Amino acid sequence: MKIKAYLKTAVIVTSMSVAGSVLAEGTLRYATVGEPPSLDQQVVTSDLATTIAHHMFEGLYTFNANNAPVGLLAADESVSADGKTIVISLRDNVTFHNGKQMTSLDVVASLNRWLEHGSRGKLLSDNITSVEATGDYEVTLSFNAVFGPWQNLMAFINGGPAIYPSEIAAAAGKAPIAPSDYIGTGPYKFNEWKANRYVELVRHDAYNSPVGVADGYGGARDANFETLRFIPVPDVGTRISGLKAGDYDYAENIPGDLFAELDADENVRTILNGGPIFGLVFMNSKEGPLKENFALRRAIQTALNKDTALRIAAGPEKLWRANGSFLPEGNVWYSKSGIEKFSEGNAAKAKEMAAAAGYAGEPIKFMVSTNYAFHYDKAVVYTKQLAQAGFNIDLQVYDWATLIKKRSQPDQWDLFFTHHGFVPDPILISAMSDNYPGWWSTPEKAALKAEFTGTADKAKRAVTWNKLQALIYEQVPTMKTGDIYTYNIASAKLKGLAPSTLIWPHFWGVSK
Amino acid sequence: MSVFIIKRLLSLIPTLLLASMLIFLFVHLIPGDPAAVLLGDLATPEEVAALTTEMGLDEPVYLQYYYWLSHVLQGDLGTSIFFQVPVSTVIGDGAETSILLALMTMIWIITIGLPLGILAASRHGTFVDQLCSGGAMMAASVPTFWLGLYLILIFSVGLGWLPSSGFPSLTDDGGVFNLRYLILPSLALAAPNAALIIRLVRSSMLDVAREDFVRTARAKGLHPTRIAVKHVFRNALIAVVAAFGFTFAALISEAVVTETVFSLPGIGRLVVQSILRRDYPVIQGVILVIVVLYMTINLLVDLAYARLDPRVSLK
Repeated sequence: MKIKAYLKTAVIVTSMSVAGSVLAEGTLRYATVGEPPSLDQQVVTSDLATTIAHHMFEGLYTFNANNAPVGLLAADESVSADGKTIVISLRDNVTFHNGKQMTSLDVVASLNRWLEHGSRGKLLSDNITSVEATGDYEVTLSFNAVFGPWQNLMAFINGGPAIYPSEIAAAAGKAPIAPSDYIGTGPYKFNEWKANRYVELVRHDAYNSPVGVADGYGGARDANFETLRFIPVPDVGTRISGLKAGDYDYAENIPGDLFAELDADENVRTILNGGPIFGLVFMNSKEGPLKENFALRRAIQTALNKDTALRIAAGPEKLWRANGSFLPEGNVWYSKSGIEKFSEGNAAKAKEMAAAAGYAGEPIKFMVSTNYAFHYDKAVVYTKQLAQAGFNIDLQVYDWATLIKKRSQPDQWDLFFTHHGFVPDPILISAMSDNYPGWWSTPEKAALKAEFTGTADKAKRAVTWNKLQALIYEQVPTMKTGDIYTYNIASAKLKGLAPSTLIWPHFWGVSK
Repeated sequence: MSVFIIKRLLSLIPTLLLASMLIFLFVHLIPGDPAAVLLGDLATPEEVAALTTEMGLDEPVYLQYYYWLSHVLQGDLGTSIFFQVPVSTVIGDGAETSILLALMTMIWIITIGLPLGILAASRHGTFVDQLCSGGAMMAASVPTFWLGLYLILIFSVGLGWLPSSGFPSLTDDGGVFNLRYLILPSLALAAPNAALIIRLVRSSMLDVAREDFVRTARAKGLHPTRIAVKHVFRNALIAVVAAFGFTFAALISEAVVTETVFSLPGIGRLVVQSILRRDYPVIQGVILVIVVLYMTINLLVDLAYARLDPRVSLK
């Protein structure tokens, strides 16, 4: 009798394991570092949120593998002779996840909400005079002057103009929309968010893919998996072990010191993120010893050797570049302007420059967070280098939530560390905004920024960007700390994955 | 006894009120605000302020406390700022994992800790005693995260017998078989706690064994096993029961390291994540529930004392 009971249990367990593996074939299990604050792409700029949400939400444009904007929900566009009116034709075969067909009314409502409340919408809203539906599948944008980067801004989905049904977009304010309103047009639709367990998307069976060969985020989007499940696994050791044990198919944000070992493992694929992230040390332009004292800022810049800090923070040389250009080599916006000042690491010269700038040893408050290991590692190295050059650095260590609260108070800091994701257009770099903490807003910047956005001619814009980058090295509102190529790992069983991601990983066109 | 229980339950009211005030105050004293975390790096101070107002977080703290408390008294712990679902749902989800993990851990502690503690005490001074005590010291010294990672490497990555991490609900696919996800974490969590119980049972039993009534029992010629179980162990259990009670409460509320290593959606990790996100309603709700849990367990331990020791009277 007992033997029978044991056999019965064994059969049940075995059949469950088999059932589990069959289910796993249709499910991609992605181990994330945590949970996103929200999936509302218009107002949230978290990279993790975009990694999940760009499978659900789509914009009018996206980027191809060369980081050039291409149509997604937009079929075509025409620009008036004076460059101030843009008529966008929409694809007429797009349905939302709730079954409703997408029309120009949805696009207008979404763009209006983004222009008013979107994280990056304000970059466009000062230049746009109206957004109108001029046909069922046609939208007209009117600008008060030529605005060169409009298409790049529209194509950047992170904090960008995701298209929602009009009734949802019209009712939404600054607060992120609720999960029950996560209705987009993408190849996957929202299914469930179980706190601390997972965010789950399921295939949108009525999805009409854009035509053309898959190219970056452009072209065909084939949803091969039935389900995408994003599981928070905060411990990196568990993410790696879980992937090796077959519990996850993809795991993000793996430390650099494990790269060589994992790269050599035939059961694991290492996938470099094509767009590097770069650390930034912002300087306070509103209050304190660094306010308008560009000479003192240059002295700080001169004291720093970025290579040392990069090596400590990022590990193997394959994972970092001591690159002073804000955009990486090979990118259309790569520029050598000013980069000779990027990493001088000359303490003696810095000391002389600081004295000449009137620095007499006043404490300089440097805020950093431990939430990002590379922020803290680099800040510790910089603090030591600055001390060698005679600077009195008061390193203040906080958690990220406290840091972002304090940095909004100009009397609380002089320097703070943050980082920036790769952006396909320099206008999206945070220092370009006058309102970003640091509050860099000089007449020279304003003039060059107007020149930069006031033309659609890419060659002219590139020339102006050279001048802007040179100005950043001159006035030092922020110091770039070098490029870090983070990497993820994937099961060797996954098919269709590119050797590197464009910006955020995507799983249409992928199977196992 | 019922008078005692009613009195204790009534005394919970002012304690809970005071605890709720302190919780609310401390949570709001932490710098940072959820609006800034929610909107991210690019949000301007004006946008953060606007969302703070929209969420009602710019009201004076005493008013916010009043609103919160009046809802709590109606059984409504509020809505999570980040998940936008009722706090009770978030806590309920985490509680399932934490309670099951604590129960499974307690099973290991009882089945390993008690017998080895009794064995060590009854073989006091022998090699068996040294083996049990030495093993317990080693288990207590090994960090839980280290043990957890090695359990994963051996049983998940190496042998492939058990899942490495996560815990699907018992209501999900797999049902009761999902408990296999908790085997490794409960073992990791049980090791240091079982070690403490071994030491506690051993020392308590040795203390009781020196009492006069045990000497009398021996003089009366009672069988050594009967003396060990009925007289020594039962009296030693009084100290052990208190340890069990608070170990169980700690396993639910403080298993954050194990929950992180095994990626379990439990209460401990929920608190830490909510603090990092400044999800005030969740932090307040979870801590309040933990306070109630500790108070309840305290009461149950007192009741157990009276049951085990006739000298204790509940008044």
